[in-house]
Amino acid sequence: MKDIFTDLYNKVLGFFKQTEKKNDESSKEVACNRLKFVLMQDRTNLTPELMDRMRKELIELLSKYVEMDKEALELGFEQEGSQMALMLSIPVLRAREEAEIEATLAEEDAKKAKEEADAEKDSEGEEDESNDSEAQSDNEADTEEVEAEIEITEEPQGQEEDSENNNSSGEENKSSSSSKKTKTAKK
Amino acid sequence: MTITAENVKEKDNKKGDIMSGRVIVITSGKGGVGKTTTNANIGTALAKAGKKVVMIDTDLGLRNLDLLLGLENRIVYTIVDVVEGRCKLRQALVKDKKNPNLCLLAAAQTRDKTAVTEEQLRDICEELKKDFDFILVDCPAGIEQGFQNAVAGASEAIVVTTPEMSAVRDADRIIGLLEAREEIKSYKLLLNRVRPNMIKSNDMMSVDDVVEILSAPLIGIIPEDTGIITSTNKGEPIVNDEKSLAGQAYRNVARRIIGEDVPFLNLEEDTGVLSKVKKFFAGLIGKEK
Repeated sequence: MKDIFTDLYNKVLGFFKQTEKKNDESSKEVACNRLKFVLMQDRTNLTPELMDRMRKELIELLSKYVEMDKEALELGFEQEGSQMALMLSIPVLRAREEAEIEATLAEEDAKKAKEEADAEKDSEGEEDESNDSEAQSDNEADTEEVEAEIEITEEPQGQEEDSENNNSSGEENKSSSSSKKTKTAKK
Repeated sequence: MTITAENVKEKDNKKGDIMSGRVIVITSGKGGVGKTTTNANIGTALAKAGKKVVMIDTDLGLRNLDLLLGLENRIVYTIVDVVEGRCKLRQALVKDKKNPNLCLLAAAQTRDKTAVTEEQLRDICEELKKDFDFILVDCPAGIEQGFQNAVAGASEAIVVTTPEMSAVRDADRIIGLLEAREEIKSYKLLLNRVRPNMIKSNDMMSVDDVVEILSAPLIGIIPEDTGIITSTNKGEPIVNDEKSLAGQAYRNVARRIIGEDVPFLNLEEDTGVLSKVKKFFAGLIGKEK
């Protein structure tokens, strides 16, 4: 007996539901999404162009360590209470081989070294050494953050020992992880 | 009879000694979302609850609070007359027609926002705190000097917004500015002109959506009500209409301001045919169990 009524109830409900509008995205959802986007810009002073640039730079940087779905990378702001957090979601297609990463980095390091050498020809800098050690220590701490954020099991940087120019890539690392973690208090 | 702290306090009040009123600014950023209506209704409701209330209209050049209260013909002096020394503060306070607990300090219609400074408004608020429980400051639209003036003397704020994108965006801006002002100790959100039917059909942002986006505590949800227009026509705040849902919602806001814990009205409860059918069948199933 109960089943009959339940069935009838669902049928009637179904009938009414059919008559309701079926839009993929309701105007309310459109409003919420547009509003969240525009408030993100209002609160951070980041224009769509700047966001796009940040996105590109992040992709460039992170591709060195993981092979990811560049199209599906999501970058946006989320609200956590009264704080805003910059959220980066990266679909990882495949973790790169250690050798692969090392090769990419070595290539880049070589490039950097060449640039630096060129620069040194122009101006013979002497105060480099103190900066080097500082950057090195930053590098280690921040590498771990990146690892936690992207959630890959391999060590993204198993090439610490490979050259004295490591600090240059380390610096970039630092900027990426700190931007990922950036939480700007609402103005 | 033993003398308790409460008795002493009562005596003090009777003598008209030190009262320390709360100064609440009602603001929104965007125009037309119902700041002045909110002000008139909350003020009237607080006065009906026995509180001494004064409302200050700081919208110089575009005053309207007097109209909503039906006091437009009683204004002799304005806030500009007070700061320019043409009258005493007390002389400029216009008493409400019905409620002797309620007063209005009107804005000047012929002057612009520069006629009163932040400092002067702060002084006026300080002075009024001695005699009133609540000082409600009606803020002009915008974020310019008029806003800065209105906020100057306040320590609390009510941000009025509607579930529309432009109003929410402007409210976000206002919240940002309020947070930057040290003297504002707390701010609350009042969501005005809510249409439950549109929310139900997903054509309007819900209360939760707006609260989530602005992440501000809520003090009231006011349903859209045609009665607001007719009550404005008559110069009589809608809180005086016991049957009106919007009036009820405003009375609840006033009670929350006083500190009572009042649940929000359930506006989602609809009386449409569909819900009745649903309820009918749901009832049948329930009985079968």
